[in-house]
Amino acid sequence: MKVNVKGRFSFPGGIHPPEKKDLSREVEIQPGPAVKEVAVMLSQHIGAVCQPLNRKGDAVQAGQKIGDCDAFVSAPVHSPITGKVKEIALRSHAVLGRSSAIVIEAFSYSPTRRSYFKLKDDFDEKNYSAGQICEAVRQAGIVGMGGAGFPTRVKIEPNPQMPKETLIINGCECEPYITCDYRIMLEWTNQIIAGIKLARKASGCSQVFIAIEGNKPKAIEVMNRALESFANSDSIKVIPVKTKYPQGGERQLIKAILKKDVPTGGIPPMIGVVVLNVATAAAIAEAVISDLPLTHRVVTVTGEAVAKPGNYYVPIGTSVEDLIEFCGGVTKKSAKVLLGGPMMGIAIADLKTPITKATNAITVLTKEQIGRAKFARRQTACICCGRCLEVCPENLNPTKIAHAVKYNFLDVAESYYISACMECGCCSYVCPANIELTGYIKTGKIFLARQKKKIPG
Amino acid sequence: MILANVLELWSSVWPAGVTMLGLGSGFALVLLIASEKLKVTVDPKIEQIHEALPNLDCGACGFAGCGQYAKAVLGDPELLGKCAPGGPETSSKIADVLNLQVSDSGPQQRPIVRCRACTADKTLYAQYQGIQSCIAANALANVQACGFGCLSFGDCTRACKFDALHIVDGMTIVDYEKCTGCTACSKACPRNLIEMVPFGYENMMIVACNSKETGKSTRSICKVGCIGCGICVKQTDVFSVEDNLARIDFTRYEPNEQAETAMNKCPTKVIIYRGKTAPEPPQPGKKPVAATKA
Ligand code: SF4
Ligand code: SF4
Ligand code: SF4
Ligand code: SF4
Repeated sequence: MKVNVKGRFSFPGGIHPPEKKDLSREVEIQPGPAVKEVAVMLSQHIGAVCQPLNRKGDAVQAGQKIGDCDAFVSAPVHSPITGKVKEIALRSHAVLGRSSAIVIEAFSYSPTRRSYFKLKDDFDEKNYSAGQICEAVRQAGIVGMGGAGFPTRVKIEPNPQMPKETLIINGCECEPYITCDYRIMLEWTNQIIAGIKLARKASGCSQVFIAIEGNKPKAIEVMNRALESFANSDSIKVIPVKTKYPQGGERQLIKAILKKDVPTGGIPPMIGVVVLNVATAAAIAEAVISDLPLTHRVVTVTGEAVAKPGNYYVPIGTSVEDLIEFCGGVTKKSAKVLLGGPMMGIAIADLKTPITKATNAITVLTKEQIGRAKFARRQTACICCGRCLEVCPENLNPTKIAHAVKYNFLDVAESYYISACMECGCCSYVCPANIELTGYIKTGKIFLARQKKKIPG
Repeated sequence: MILANVLELWSSVWPAGVTMLGLGSGFALVLLIASEKLKVTVDPKIEQIHEALPNLDCGACGFAGCGQYAKAVLGDPELLGKCAPGGPETSSKIADVLNLQVSDSGPQQRPIVRCRACTADKTLYAQYQGIQSCIAANALANVQACGFGCLSFGDCTRACKFDALHIVDGMTIVDYEKCTGCTACSKACPRNLIEMVPFGYENMMIVACNSKETGKSTRSICKVGCIGCGICVKQTDVFSVEDNLARIDFTRYEPNEQAETAMNKCPTKVIIYRGKTAPEPPQPGKKPVAATKA
């Protein structure tokens, strides 16, 4: 089949930031550092927080469940290493501030390139029932690995009220710098396809699209070739989508491929769509076929300030410090560490922050880059150029919302659909007046959440 | 000559005058009828309650202003006593209007700020350049090593309508002379540092820390943080330690010797007085004179 890598599929709005992916895109997935200690966050995902199942001093095996919760929207956590529970203490979490984590001291840990999973030649998803797959996914603690961390079981489980038809596998990786999904697609291709088939079986979807941005022709080719060699994969199609940020956003992807809009405030299952990340699909295969829980993930460590940028297979709970140290340490030039990429990533100050299931990258930027960054420069009044409106992929009016938040008119911000903002950062990126639009919008959302909970009567 | 001119002028003006007069009285009549027909009877009690209120429109009651609250109380007497700036005096006035009995609600609520670290006591991990507000700083970065303490960007000071809160050297200080207990500040703080407590005495003893870290990590990042050592609990049981943080049961607190001893023995000097005439809090490191001699 001739591969069309042009990528006609697109959505309105969006930007073209410098990709910077060549720092790490040709580096194979490598084993991470030999960690001595990991801190597994009890809250790795959206939904209820896990309760620890062990006490201080308990010995734990690699892959043993160490935290769980009864709530429907939740996922258990497992120990990635064999060792001893040192303490249950607070660690920094990029979103939640200080939050509890189980700190495990390793007896011995030898880093590997990938899990011990091996796809057998006679793999057939028909051998597994939908219920079985959902249960295995839940038990393995799989959550969305692209960033948000929504429990995957909840996504793929059939729901009679919202029947699912389409499964979209998100291999866009539109965020600059990050390459972990790209490497997974190249190196774990068959595993991803096995995972996709299992997810398709569990959710009952009839068509599957694997969306890959046009700037990754190799991944598109590899995927297509692998699909040909698999039996029963006619309904799975690779779609080259347009290279544009934020193409990997759920709503943007659905818009680009299916030309459908997810209702504001709604979720994709409402229109019969499930979106899964490629790394999540790979984890599903491991969980269902070999009963391996989600304890490791591939993290891209990148940025101009990192000596050895690359993609590393590391235990979840490894501290950012260990990982950066492993990649050549913090150089003098480095000035800002981000969990995630430069657009949607969150700046962290505490390098002891552990990696969670949803951490796809660590980006270290140099002082020079920060100095050139917009917000270090002078902020002026809005010049009403309308560029933020043009690029907003959610068709919002960022300047109106941001200024409403700035001057505390939260009802105005709400009437301009502040909650529909996906915090992609496009508006801040283009604003010639250097206004921190996304920052204000984020702040406003927290304000509103607090207000709704706290006001009496 | 002049007279003739005036007369001429008059003759040209009077029709206009009469027309205006006619129009005026016509409209007056319409308004009169309308005001009778469309009369809205306002309960005089609302007026009375409104007068009893302090008319600060601060929103402490949870309503948009004093007028709204007056209406609401009339409908639902349960809401009596929500006006914090007015205090018991206002409540009893409103109760008179509504023919109700007010129960004694105890001492007035006043805010305490549970962080006493000044700029020099705090450890910073990074430089924060974002939006200068506590809510943004709290959400976007864990800049300050202590994830529980005051961020000093003053969201609370902006929320206070009575100029009773000030940031002094990185600490949030309440001016208890000006504070009316409206609770606006405690709602504004994203770290829930400001707690409303029954202020039974002129000065109250407080544990000025909010850190739930283990003693060891608190010590490593803050000179004046509570390490949860439990020395205070041994002196008197109004203290309790939970999640590595000491707390005072304010409903049972009274100034006595045990509490005073607990305060002096606290190794990090995190137990301090706050109030109208509170003494300057002691600095950690320097042991009280009596203790060194003994
Ligand atoms: S951050 Fe929000 S408002 Fe700004 S472009 Fe993205 S979706 Fe639109
Ligand atoms: S991009 Fe910036 S300057 Fe232009 S309209 Fe939006 S906020 Fe105003
Ligand atoms: S300090 Fe100000 S905002 Fe806080 S309770 Fe007192 S008056 Fe209200
Ligand atoms: S007390 Fe809270 S709101 Fe006030 S400055 Fe400190 S962190 Fe900000």
